[in-house]
Amino acid sequence: MTAFDPTPQKTVWDDSNESQTALSVTVNGKQVRTLVADRLLLSDFLRDDLGLTALKVACGEGACGACTIVIDGEPARSCTLLAVQTEGAEILTLEGLNAPQGLNPVQQIFQQHHALQCGYCTPGWLMTAYSMIKRSIHPDSTEVSQYLSGHICRCTGYRNIWTAVRRALGAANDGPVSGQE
Amino acid sequence: MTENTNKSMARPGRRRYVGEAVLRREDEELLQGRGGFLPDLAAPNAAEICIVRSTEPHAVVRAIRKERALASPGVIAVLAADDLDFVDDVLPCVDMIPGTLDVRQRVIARERVRYVGQPMALVVATNRYLAEDAAALIEIVYESLPPVTDHMAAMNPGAPLLYPELGTNIVYQVRQLDGNPDFAPSDGDLVIRKRFEFHRQTAVPLETRGVTAKLIDNGERLHVESCTQLPQVLRSVLAGAFGIGLDKVRVTAPRLGGGFGAKEMVYPEEILVPAVARKLQRPVRWLEDRREHFASTTHAREETVDAEAVVAKDGAFVGLRLTGWANIGAAYGFVGNTPITAMGAMVRGPYRVPNLDAQMFSVVTNKTPLNVLRGAGAPQAALVMERLLDEAARTLGIDRAEIRRRNLIRPDELPLDRGRTGFANSHHIIYDEGDYPRCLEAGLRLAEYENFESDRIAAAARGKLRGIGIAMYVEITAVGPYETARIALLPDGTILLYSSIMPVGQGSETTQRQLVAEELGVAMEQVAIRQGDTDEVPDAVGTFASRGAAVGGAAARMAARELVKTILHGFAEVPDCDPSALRWEGGGVVILGPTEEFIPLSEIPARLASLRGDPEPRRIEARHRIEIPRPSYSYATHIAVVEIDPETGALKIPRYTVAHDCGRIVNPLLVEGQIVGGVVQGIGAVLRENLVYDANGRLQTRALMDYVLPGASDCPTDFKLWHMETPTSFNPFGMRGVGEGGTIGAHAAMANAVADTLRDYDVAVDGSGPFTPTWIMEALSKPPRGTSSEKG
Repeated sequence: MTAFDPTPQKTVWDDSNESQTALSVTVNGKQVRTLVADRLLLSDFLRDDLGLTALKVACGEGACGACTIVIDGEPARSCTLLAVQTEGAEILTLEGLNAPQGLNPVQQIFQQHHALQCGYCTPGWLMTAYSMIKRSIHPDSTEVSQYLSGHICRCTGYRNIWTAVRRALGAANDGPVSGQE
Repeated sequence: MTENTNKSMARPGRRRYVGEAVLRREDEELLQGRGGFLPDLAAPNAAEICIVRSTEPHAVVRAIRKERALASPGVIAVLAADDLDFVDDVLPCVDMIPGTLDVRQRVIARERVRYVGQPMALVVATNRYLAEDAAALIEIVYESLPPVTDHMAAMNPGAPLLYPELGTNIVYQVRQLDGNPDFAPSDGDLVIRKRFEFHRQTAVPLETRGVTAKLIDNGERLHVESCTQLPQVLRSVLAGAFGIGLDKVRVTAPRLGGGFGAKEMVYPEEILVPAVARKLQRPVRWLEDRREHFASTTHAREETVDAEAVVAKDGAFVGLRLTGWANIGAAYGFVGNTPITAMGAMVRGPYRVPNLDAQMFSVVTNKTPLNVLRGAGAPQAALVMERLLDEAARTLGIDRAEIRRRNLIRPDELPLDRGRTGFANSHHIIYDEGDYPRCLEAGLRLAEYENFESDRIAAAARGKLRGIGIAMYVEITAVGPYETARIALLPDGTILLYSSIMPVGQGSETTQRQLVAEELGVAMEQVAIRQGDTDEVPDAVGTFASRGAAVGGAAARMAARELVKTILHGFAEVPDCDPSALRWEGGGVVILGPTEEFIPLSEIPARLASLRGDPEPRRIEARHRIEIPRPSYSYATHIAVVEIDPETGALKIPRYTVAHDCGRIVNPLLVEGQIVGGVVQGIGAVLRENLVYDANGRLQTRALMDYVLPGASDCPTDFKLWHMETPTSFNPFGMRGVGEGGTIGAHAAMANAVADTLRDYDVAVDGSGPFTPTWIMEALSKPPRGTSSEKG
């Protein structure tokens, strides 16, 4: 797990009379207590104030899944929540799933199957894959496509993501796509 | 190999890297969420910028009132055109051939605005929330002018003129001729006339754009960080914009969260944000949000093409006459004329079609500027040709595979000169080596084309409509004119490559290292790579046109070859050394002699230092600039099987097949990734994505909820890929490009598959659709065509 400083770097509001609220939240197992602006998005709080930049903001309206994190065990979009809505919650970000060194088993499967290219959407997929594993989703169930439909990947064409996620859920390897003369 | 007699160090067995499915090294950081994309990077003390954009498609600007914004909390500055100083405020366009009218974009709107989204003013504040608050308080007084968004209407007499001083909205034209351009039909020849329409799209890299700027080196230099595929080009433009020396500008570009052509552009914000940093003498940052991205990042694809094909009774295409008009929006993109140029240049693909007269135009309208998107204009060109082939096959009663066989260029006809054109980087189209017929047959075999009719019947029995579409293309890749690379053997005995190629997701961090490791005969782990810093690589062309591995990689490999020469030269300079006894082998220096000696890479710097009597090991460096006078031409066959549910209009792709030849393959795992990803982008383009403007010139699609991208369920169920590997003689290592082909082939294969699936309905598939469920339901409500003569 990647360490982070639970003392937030606060977003600069200056003398703007911005309405702020006390927030107490657990992030990747650490207690965070701070004042946040009422309108601060959870994604900005995690990225800018806590420096947890694995989650990405790509659409800002919950359509692409790149900002997915886990709140109290449920996958959630951090770009359409306010930080103050997570009072008392337990938040898990990709930083909280990272192995002390190298890649965790699901990350290894993603690498082996070339299930990422630019890597911008990848943290979101990994959080959803984590949730699916936690819920013991069967790799052949129709739920798999429901989970995957919540994410946009612009590079891979999804095929290798399907393979990697299903492998992570215990499926056997698919046959190869390519042949050569 | 000479027998190794040295006791101290055994030479390692030669490890091959080119052609190996090496796993990507960059994956570790990316999978841990430590990719270091621009929005992730710390920007200490940077003020945040929000850009105020035009809400009018066409207007004269009467006033910009900043007072209320300036009084808003946290605001540091509000700046408009009059507050910023530029020596040159014109953005570059590289494909303006002689006779082209100059409609290059200015970095900020002055008296006139020409599209919704054009930058008007910048609000600088302590954070983005406060900057947006203030931006909403800026009042702009416009005097509206009538807009024109349709390029065909923009050519009508009396249409509103975007640049009244030019007297026309037609700003660029190029004509491509081959054979006898005055060809005419003979008795019995079939003449097909069709108008093709291509809708407006945009690339949508998942990472939007962003720029940070600050003064460095005691304020003497400008450091700009940007999400760009062209850091070296941006550096030149910045130096020109501010009238400062090139050495006073450093541009860095981190890993990009996708590019696809959207970041092959010098954008207004890339000049404006640094201008603010200079003006305020403080670090500033701008991060584009998705809403502004749709209006401010370049669009793509929109064009209309009138085609006339003359086809002999046996299916042989005699000639093609084309007139095309691109809707390039309000100003030139960096290569905004390239897509329509590609229509004339590349329309014939792998087919002989001996006679060609293609005349292409760019037309300005009140839309966001157009630029390239994966495949540039080649997806449209392939679609035109492939639809004409299917139309000819249907009319003449020839099988669709057979009509292609009859028109394909044979291997013994290659290399083939296809005539002059207006491309920025290649004025002449000369196809290199290949075997197009074998590529077609490989695709047909893999797709089980001969058995398809039983598939169609089985689907019909389930109440579903099934069809199959074939498409081929030849694609210009690996364009020059040159590329550079720099390489160093560091004192610790490791290699550091300074690559000119940007990491955009294509895996360049791995393939470039594979090529260097292969050349040197060392382990990839001994080769590190740095990219995207103009202080390290000041001169380079950039990352586009499927040139990263083939051209940038060739430059890297040649630089490694130079490094070997430099190292051997270093040993040769040592007194008492016989230069003829030196050789590079197995990843190190071999000194021939009675006691032959092998010095591995890791020991070379220390060994040279001791031989020379240097106190410390030195760094040894080499660089190379490779000239690429002729691009090389990749080709492929795509075959799509489509199934439509007539109850709902839902479309599925049960099977998709690609047979392709990109020359020497560096990494088959990554080639497969490029093709599958490219195909799904092409599928999304013709099934879903569409930028919609209303009648008043305002962009309606401003979010991912509006602009529907392909999702996980759009990936073909059964995807088959066949690699052919004919090395090209146009590249020193036989490599062609592969980054864009998937998208090119998918447009045409999908259009043909949709047309075949709906062959019993009187519906035209003359363009890129998009073939949404709504479009399909309308098609199914058309009267049946009667018994179709089209053979599977």
